[in-house]
Amino acid sequence: MSDLWRRTWAILWKDLLIELRTKQALNAMVFFAGLVLLLFSFAIGPNPDLLRELAGGLLWVAIVFTGTVSLGRSFQSEELAGGLQLMRLYPGERRAIFLGKLLANLMLLLAVEVVLFPVAGVLFQINMWPNAWGLTGIAVLGSFGFSTVGTFYAALTVHLRARELMLPLLVFPALIPLLLAAVNATGGLILGDAMGQVSGWLRLLVAYDVILFVVCIWIFPIVLEE
Amino acid sequence: MSKSSDVAIRTERLSRRFGRSWALDSLDLEIQRGSTVAVLGPNGAGKTTLFRVLATLLRPSNGHVEVLGSVLPRDADAVRSRAGMLTAAGYVYDELTGLENLRFAALMSGERPDATALRAVIAEVGLEDAADKRVRAYSAGMRKRLELARLMLRPLELVLLDEPFVSLDHEGVDLVQAAIQRWQAAGGTVLVASHQVADALRHADRALLLTGGRLERDAPAADWGPS
Repeated sequence: MSDLWRRTWAILWKDLLIELRTKQALNAMVFFAGLVLLLFSFAIGPNPDLLRELAGGLLWVAIVFTGTVSLGRSFQSEELAGGLQLMRLYPGERRAIFLGKLLANLMLLLAVEVVLFPVAGVLFQINMWPNAWGLTGIAVLGSFGFSTVGTFYAALTVHLRARELMLPLLVFPALIPLLLAAVNATGGLILGDAMGQVSGWLRLLVAYDVILFVVCIWIFPIVLEE
Repeated sequence: MSKSSDVAIRTERLSRRFGRSWALDSLDLEIQRGSTVAVLGPNGAGKTTLFRVLATLLRPSNGHVEVLGSVLPRDADAVRSRAGMLTAAGYVYDELTGLENLRFAALMSGERPDATALRAVIAEVGLEDAADKRVRAYSAGMRKRLELARLMLRPLELVLLDEPFVSLDHEGVDLVQAAIQRWQAAGGTVLVASHQVADALRHADRALLLTGGRLERDAPAADWGPS
């Protein structure tokens, strides 16, 4: 195992172990995501056609809001424990910190989505099973892009006093292309992809993920400087 | 001026500013390899800022800094692999056990942690009975000991100890002193910043007094009287 991956694994192991023991982020995320979906379904009312049509957008708004809840915590808890400073004392590739945090955030978000998609299926009266593989692919690609951008900005804002406000202000605009692609791809799959547009949106998702990942991991060591 | 290879730390007009105030103000220092130096001074003197610059946690605002032959901040990674710092704040993860904290530190330092070796290190600081307890149940002194154990995981050429005696009982203070002696014996350079002057001077060759970010006095440790 290379040095970079050993350090990445160490951070991922540490973050998931702490989360497994405290369940602070996971509990908050599942509760928050469920609440958002429930509010949407109440607001729209018992109109199955409209719910089906809006399902992609509603799901991704819930995912992004929920993900932002955990992103803020990811570096904040480090900072409270002095951990970010401690991590900067270790030798070796600092990009491992980004990779480890990104993977931990991604795994948490995917764990929430495992609950979120079936709950959305029930609330919005949609049978998701025929499109399970396609939706899984979109969820993974979308969540990867979100976690990449979110982890980067969470590190950037960790020292700010108004970080709770600044994080969504910075992250949401950067997510517009991702949301556009993920919402349309999810909606397209749920509605049967009559126009054959899903593959185009998927290509946009992949391109977004690749570009943002390369940019964020490249700049990350500078973000850690104090 | 000494030969570059004999010098562990050299700063020339080192300054570090936070907003409008200067924590370090044109500091010129030269510390020989293998020496133990006590860094003394009142609160706000710049001791922690100096240590954080030397440990690569802070970039200098002005001036030249050379640590173990590497220029900072350019060669920061070369310094990190050979230097270690015990922080005054006591950075450990509350939800991990003592042993897990050490395992994480070893992995992050590029080591391949072996459970037996980690238990031996934790026993050296007297925490063998608490090794598998979560750190949130540790006292402040036990946390400090765990931080000390983290520094013992790998060989270090430069050790920066920021307030190492705070929260420690007599036995804990003796552990730190024994660790300082071990680093000295291995040819390491040790800097100790502390308000507990007698403890800081115990194994020091030399002591520096900082005031307002400036070097006020630099003298052999033996010259520092009780005052």
